[in-house]
Amino acid sequence: MTPTDDDLEARVDRALRRLPQPHTPPTLLPRVMAAVDAWQHRPWYTRAWFAWPLAWRVISIVPCALLVYFAWHVPPPPAQVVAATSATRVLWDLVIAPLLPYLLAIVLLMGLACVVFGLALNYVLLERAEQR
Amino acid sequence: MTNAEPFEAFVRRYQDMVFATAVRLLGNPADAEDAAQTTFLRAFQHYAQLAASPSAGAWLKTTVRNVCLNHLTRYRARWRLFSELETGETPRYEDVLESRVSRALETEHADGVEQLEHAVRSLPDHQRIPLVLFHFEELSYDDIARTLRVSLGKVKTDIHRGREALRRLLTEDDAD
Repeated sequence: MTPTDDDLEARVDRALRRLPQPHTPPTLLPRVMAAVDAWQHRPWYTRAWFAWPLAWRVISIVPCALLVYFAWHVPPPPAQVVAATSATRVLWDLVIAPLLPYLLAIVLLMGLACVVFGLALNYVLLERAEQR
Repeated sequence: MTNAEPFEAFVRRYQDMVFATAVRLLGNPADAEDAAQTTFLRAFQHYAQLAASPSAGAWLKTTVRNVCLNHLTRYRARWRLFSELETGETPRYEDVLESRVSRALETEHADGVEQLEHAVRSLPDHQRIPLVLFHFEELSYDDIARTLRVSLGKVKTDIHRGREALRRLLTEDDAD
């Protein structure tokens, strides 16, 4: 930097430091407190899972546990059922077993749809609440 | 949670500092109010740690700075493009800037201090932001370059141009 640059830097620095702090608009505090209030009263399902009501935590665990279980252990046809009649075996092999992956996919998609619907509902309701 | 009342006092204590940082970085009071609100909401989410912390002010300053820079991120690509597209064929950059600052002077009927404040806000983003980070936030050139993810040379050039734009507003006593 040239001496002129240094001089300009010092002059600008002095001038800017003399500037008074800008006035905070009086609307800021009420806005902040309203946002805090909305955040405190947000629906339970937008909070962290650990803050959900106990019943919902339990309910949410069951399908998750089932999904994990079925994902890792696709149940083989029960031996006694298969052995019982050849018709049962045919039914299992031809109808139930091929449908299992689709059933799993449907369950997953329905779960996903519920989450999306919940988020959309929350977005619409909260947005309206904040605009009031 | 029943932290609302002490938190209100907390907001009252720091709102001027937070808003001042935001309005100087963003150059727009409406955006600055949004950024300040976001900052205080984050503070409320960490209020248990912040309430008694001696570094609450520093935490707020860093947070509001990040909130503002995030807000500007969506414009950053455009900002870089325009600032790096300057060539000899387009209108001279200094002329464009001069007219902006002149407009700021014409619209203000206040004293030099307010004119200077208004002129700072009228600077284009790519000059105002590094200028504010250097002179108000006391960041080094290197830190500014790292924060804004631009080259050190660009930071120095932009700050220098910003200062040049403000030079004509500086009164004689500033030269002492």
